[in-house]
Amino acid sequence: MLSIRNLHARVDDKPILKGINLEISAGEIHAIMGPNGSGKSTLSSVLAGRDEYEVTNGEVIYQNQNLLELKPEERAWAGLFLSFQYPVEIPGVKNVYLLKAAVNAVREHRGLPELKAADFLKLVREKLKIMQMSESFLHRNVNEGFSGGEKKRNEILQMQLLEPTLALLDETDSGLDVDALRIVGEGINLMRAPDRSVLLVTHYQRLLDIVKPDFVHVLIDGQIKLSGDFSLAQRLEKEGYEGIEVA
Amino acid sequence: MSGLYTLLTESERYSAKDALQKGLPSKQVESWKYLPSRTLNRTNWVSASHRESTGFALNGGRFANLPLCDGLSTSTHSSLNPSEIARLENIASAHGFSLAQDALNTDCLLLEVMKLAEVRIDLSRLANNASEAGFATLVIRVGEGARLLLIEQFEDVPRSQPNLDSLRILADVSRNGEMKHLRFQTANDHAQVFTEIAVDISENGHYNLHTIDFGAKLSRTDIEIRLSAEQASTKINGLAVTNGSQYHDTHLAVEHRVGDTQSAMTFRNMVDGKGEATFNGRVLIEKNAQRSATEQSVGNLLLSKKARVNPKPELEIYADDVTASHGCTVGSLNQNELFYLKSRGISETDARAFLQYAFAAKLVELIEDAEIRELVESRLLGELKHGELISELKESVHV
Repeated sequence: MLSIRNLHARVDDKPILKGINLEISAGEIHAIMGPNGSGKSTLSSVLAGRDEYEVTNGEVIYQNQNLLELKPEERAWAGLFLSFQYPVEIPGVKNVYLLKAAVNAVREHRGLPELKAADFLKLVREKLKIMQMSESFLHRNVNEGFSGGEKKRNEILQMQLLEPTLALLDETDSGLDVDALRIVGEGINLMRAPDRSVLLVTHYQRLLDIVKPDFVHVLIDGQIKLSGDFSLAQRLEKEGYEGIEVA
Repeated sequence: MSGLYTLLTESERYSAKDALQKGLPSKQVESWKYLPSRTLNRTNWVSASHRESTGFALNGGRFANLPLCDGLSTSTHSSLNPSEIARLENIASAHGFSLAQDALNTDCLLLEVMKLAEVRIDLSRLANNASEAGFATLVIRVGEGARLLLIEQFEDVPRSQPNLDSLRILADVSRNGEMKHLRFQTANDHAQVFTEIAVDISENGHYNLHTIDFGAKLSRTDIEIRLSAEQASTKINGLAVTNGSQYHDTHLAVEHRVGDTQSAMTFRNMVDGKGEATFNGRVLIEKNAQRSATEQSVGNLLLSKKARVNPKPELEIYADDVTASHGCTVGSLNQNELFYLKSRGISETDARAFLQYAFAAKLVELIEDAEIRELVESRLLGELKHGELISELKESVHV
């Protein structure tokens, strides 16, 4: 599904990623953990195509395509989805417009017929229910005035509507209280499928207790220093990252 | 005053001589600094001709089909009172062009909305023919407790040559009166549109203006509001969508002459191509105008490298107990917002259209008259490259 080989990237001449190697197969959930400033968010931004980041070396192959050559919207059409650490507020654009435009843009590129208004609304109401969001969210401007938890739920709502093949979830658990964390976590679990992979970027174990990853990787100073199964996350929670750095 | 020379030499009014002597304001005159006066200067303007029309219209410098309704009386300039005459003279004295407007004025109509009456007036400003210049004045009295809705629309028929339409609106809003004024400018590509709006507001009176510029090669709007008695208030919203080689210019001056008066202004300029937009918003709060409140917000969105904006908010406050706020931003589309939309599979062009629409829509939503609001919105969507997506969404998603 996704193959990252020796990926180097920098922002403003400052190297952040210093040779990342990662293989993700269909149906797998991978978690990337690491201390602040280790490059976790840079990795998801580079994969989603944010242009402040310059890739200086390496390659990323996604479903036999060179991912780095695709524009952000082309990556979305190809089935990539990024849940933002800080979802962007867009005053003046209603959430429902964004959702419908996005769903139909992605469907068009997957060779599916456009969803008519009634079908779209039926679908979006179903997903709102899962995320325990009221219908009023449709008519509010995108993320404007949403609480931290509402923004993250809105991200997962979008993910459910867009049905990506590869979801990158960047610190989706940050800023969530216990209830919101459970709703978001279960929202992600519902998306688990044999042909869908998830890359969770997180600081803490608490989301991983709900969304059990198949693999856990520790990112330190722009490189994956250690990989393991779920027990690695438990060990990190107890011992912190310092032990890894020494090792 | 080369372009208007022939017309001015034919005019018998004394202001014609002054206008010829003064000439058009130079670039040194602050309020005319950015205005491209080439066409005004180089066209050999002739008097505008009148043609048949339906509905209340300004047409070739003359008003036609005067509105008839309960609570409204119409008469000519001979009925103006000394204060109105003095105010018109004062407006004329500003510079050479305002003198020319005065000298070349061919029609002056007085509309009086009777005490407690409620009146709606729809005025169409029809396109003048090539090289024709029309000048007219509308004087409005809104009686005590009366309510007036004035809707000014522009005929958009193709013209291949410059054409000039100038209108001065002088209004008085009496005690407890209210005037709502909607100006939806969609004049032809070669039009030179000049509008002067001067409003004096009495106790507890209100003047609300929406000024929306889409059309014309050049549109210049001067707005002067005087809050002359306690609890007088004004709200002014403006949107200019400027494209190609258009020039849109709004000069606004609000004067808080006494205490307990309120003003609020919201303007948005969206400039693309080689367009240029100027906004000057001056608020003066006199020394004795205590407890006055004013707020001004000006947003400018530049969509191309050659687009230009000249925003200038000016606050002049002499009273010490006032609430005043102002904000002015100039920028291009927010890259973070663009990336967010694109990461959801929305194409670059659609994402740009979304954000441009969002920038302007705030001003459109403020228009109370549903019919006009829809007209403005559909024009806005038509101006956007790839506005169709939003049109479709708006039609399809009514929950």
